[in-house]
Amino acid sequence: MIGKDKIFSTLNKVIKKSPAEQTEAVFIGNSFGLSRFTNSHIHQNVFESTNKLYFRVAVGKRIGVVSTTSMEKEDLNRALLNAYNIALNQRDNPDFTELPGKAEYRKIKTYYPSTAAYTPMERAKKIKAIFRIAGKHNLNAAGSFSTSETEVAVVNSNGVKAYQPLTSAAINLIVLGDNSSGYAEGLSRDVRKLNFKEITERATQKCLDSVNPMEIPPGKYDVILEPKAVAEIIEWLNYTGFNPKSLDDGSSFLAGHLGKKIMGENVSLYDDAIDDNGIPFPFDFEGVPKRKVYFVKKGIGVGVVHNSLTAHHAGTKSTGHSLTPDASDNAYSFNTFMAAGRNSLNSMISKTEKGILVTRFHYINGFIDTNKAVMTGMTKDGTFLIKNGKINQSIKNLRFTESMVKAFSRVKMISRERQAIDAWWSDIGCIVAPTLLISNFNFSGKTQF
Amino acid sequence: MKQKLLEIIEYLKKNNVDYADIRYVFTRAESISVRNQLVENITGDESIGFGVRVIYKGAWGFASSSIVNLPSMKKAARMAIEIARASATTINKKAKLTEAEPYIDTYRTPYKEDPFEVPMDDKLNLLITTTQEMKTDKLIKSAEASLNFWKTHKIFASTEGAYIEQDILESGGGFKATAVGSNDVQWRSYPNSHRGDFITGGYEFIRELDFLSHTDRVKEEAVALLKASPCPSTEATIIIGGSQMALQIHESCGHPAELDRVLGTELSFAGGSFLTIDKLGSFRYGSPIVNIVQDATAERGLGSFGYDDEGIKAQRTDVIREGIFTGYLTSRETAPVIGQKSNGCMRADGYNRIPLIRMTNINLEPGEGSLEELISDTKNGYYFDMNKSWSIDDKRLNFQFGVEAAWEIKNGKLRRMLKNPVYTGITPEFWNSCDAIAGKSEWHIWGVPNCGKGEPTQTARVAHGTSPARFHNVKIGVSK
Repeated sequence: MIGKDKIFSTLNKVIKKSPAEQTEAVFIGNSFGLSRFTNSHIHQNVFESTNKLYFRVAVGKRIGVVSTTSMEKEDLNRALLNAYNIALNQRDNPDFTELPGKAEYRKIKTYYPSTAAYTPMERAKKIKAIFRIAGKHNLNAAGSFSTSETEVAVVNSNGVKAYQPLTSAAINLIVLGDNSSGYAEGLSRDVRKLNFKEITERATQKCLDSVNPMEIPPGKYDVILEPKAVAEIIEWLNYTGFNPKSLDDGSSFLAGHLGKKIMGENVSLYDDAIDDNGIPFPFDFEGVPKRKVYFVKKGIGVGVVHNSLTAHHAGTKSTGHSLTPDASDNAYSFNTFMAAGRNSLNSMISKTEKGILVTRFHYINGFIDTNKAVMTGMTKDGTFLIKNGKINQSIKNLRFTESMVKAFSRVKMISRERQAIDAWWSDIGCIVAPTLLISNFNFSGKTQF
Repeated sequence: MKQKLLEIIEYLKKNNVDYADIRYVFTRAESISVRNQLVENITGDESIGFGVRVIYKGAWGFASSSIVNLPSMKKAARMAIEIARASATTINKKAKLTEAEPYIDTYRTPYKEDPFEVPMDDKLNLLITTTQEMKTDKLIKSAEASLNFWKTHKIFASTEGAYIEQDILESGGGFKATAVGSNDVQWRSYPNSHRGDFITGGYEFIRELDFLSHTDRVKEEAVALLKASPCPSTEATIIIGGSQMALQIHESCGHPAELDRVLGTELSFAGGSFLTIDKLGSFRYGSPIVNIVQDATAERGLGSFGYDDEGIKAQRTDVIREGIFTGYLTSRETAPVIGQKSNGCMRADGYNRIPLIRMTNINLEPGEGSLEELISDTKNGYYFDMNKSWSIDDKRLNFQFGVEAAWEIKNGKLRRMLKNPVYTGITPEFWNSCDAIAGKSEWHIWGVPNCGKGEPTQTARVAHGTSPARFHNVKIGVSK
């Protein structure tokens, strides 16, 4: 940890030297430890300590961005000068007016010393306990367990001074047998809140339940998607639909449909960076406070997130969803939620005459027809046939190819319980998803296991 | 820097490591993106740091830092040992590396023109003009063009005495026209989708790509796709264009041949592989005309280098020979499992990530004839061009690819254009249905700059040499 005062002092000193009219500095300092394991041993065990500093400078409407991992004084000054030189060679950006101004931020507890101080030996102890539980059933446990400590600071010449320390702990676990596997994961800012025993037992039970899978033909089935599977779909909706660039170029399924009913009335999708059911974070990488944004509200298309540039282009205000300065042409939802329903997983199973339960997907791709949010992907780590309201038998994995706009118009039941699912940006957010029961979901292919 | 690195190696030896190496990496990157004549981004990035990898008491540890001075390096070295000590509490077998020659050498990417010395104005003018040319049709809603360059200086030193300095230069770019119609969006790209084509080399490659000679075709095809019929759902003979063949090889040949996946160390993220060790040397992967090599020595390949990140010299080795699976991509730790020495495929994404088995240039050897001859030799079928979407199961068997455009082939001629084409299959069945691969004149090595693997996620820049090829009884148009 460098600390708020020292970071602000360093950044302010550099900004004061800037020859540009406006200058912004974004600092991300991260200490990250991760242990990967399989076949009852840790095979990869790493630690990285990285500081990254971005400078964004503006000369009139011309913007230059440079980033560096070096915090040496001369390197910082050189990086700033490089950003200035880029700006001088730039063209005017009509969407740039000025860098955001001073703001107040909501106080959120995002830092837990218990996570920051967690050692490789403590990670190893937890992993050995996982091996013991899976080993009782002669099963292999593969996964990764990470803990990290991060500082994010944004300072600019217009008065923005934002700082947030944060921690994150995540585990993903696959328990494997000869012809079966089961998955479970956990995510928290406080490592003490991860229930390793429950996670391991859940993955182990899934693996035991999914032995000797039978093959069933692809086709249309009612499907129960558990939270991990739903989150994987939402992650792609984020990428292809909920951002301003895809709305502007017409590739988003929301394009041309704002204010119109596009999904079932029971479906609401939104970004809420303050809700502590997720991984809260108070501001974006421009230092703009996060605002709650609906993408779809009760089935009606509402809008997308924005940073200051995309907001100006769209004639609106920033919602506080800027990416780092090297990607300032777009904005992104880091805290995506699907609204909860009133049902339970058990009630969904009991209401399903014939259907499939999916634990998670593998390798979803949503570029097939983004306008209709058509996606494809494979099921993984626990796929089951449901018959007459009961889980009947594990089945071999299937490929789905489906329009999520259409699928989310056929959601029959939504669970009350939701789960925070890890994503690549989990230091500053996650996806919070319920379990869904969807009718007539299109499984288009099959595989051999 | 050399003195510091060697001092750390000595420090590690004194601390009784079984093995250790240190990598110093300094990467300078430039990314320029223009959309509809507006410069969206010009970013420069300098990534500087080092990573220390140790085997201590038979277990692995790795620590890295972006603070490059001797105290920070010693701290990381101690941390790596501490981490290995934790790993050691779980091991059931000690990590061992196969023998390797400790090279003392240098390597530099051959190139003619340093992209970082090309005036920014020239690069911007090229991209702005490219998007301007595509925006002449009002149905083109988005015209995007981009350039990316990376210049990496890296040093590898090991307790075995290796000391290797490498300077790698990578360059690439491309453009894309997106046409928007009524409830439909279609796009075409040049020279490849996903930000273009890439090589190890300099700005001469960007000049060779000659963007402005291709803008009209790309724009017209994007607009034409709006009016095109959807690709039918059927089983058919298909010819796959060179750039899509690159993705096909990447997903269904390159990844399953990574020996770490086979041994289970990627199960928690990228997945396993159907290519179990019993299949080595006997499994019929494809038809007898299918020959695939891993070749880190290929001229201008994006996956080319002098030495991998374990200090193993770049090699060319067989993966598939006459349709039979004959070789994995290996590392010093995994190769002994199959009784071999490493073939040099360990690559790390920067200083702060541990080397993993990665693709280099995974190349399909050319067959005979031209694409035109291949099409004229096909009575009925479809021509699939340029990747749009990709998905494959975690053992790399069931795949599904979408491409930007397809054309019907009737009586040896390309006929009507088709939109949203998708094809799907099972890897060995698909490759065994390959009955023709076009020749050397069509062969090109396609750079793939965004291969993801590992936890924490690493991005590798790899390549695939391909010619268009023909496959039979392929299920197409499964999208609903």
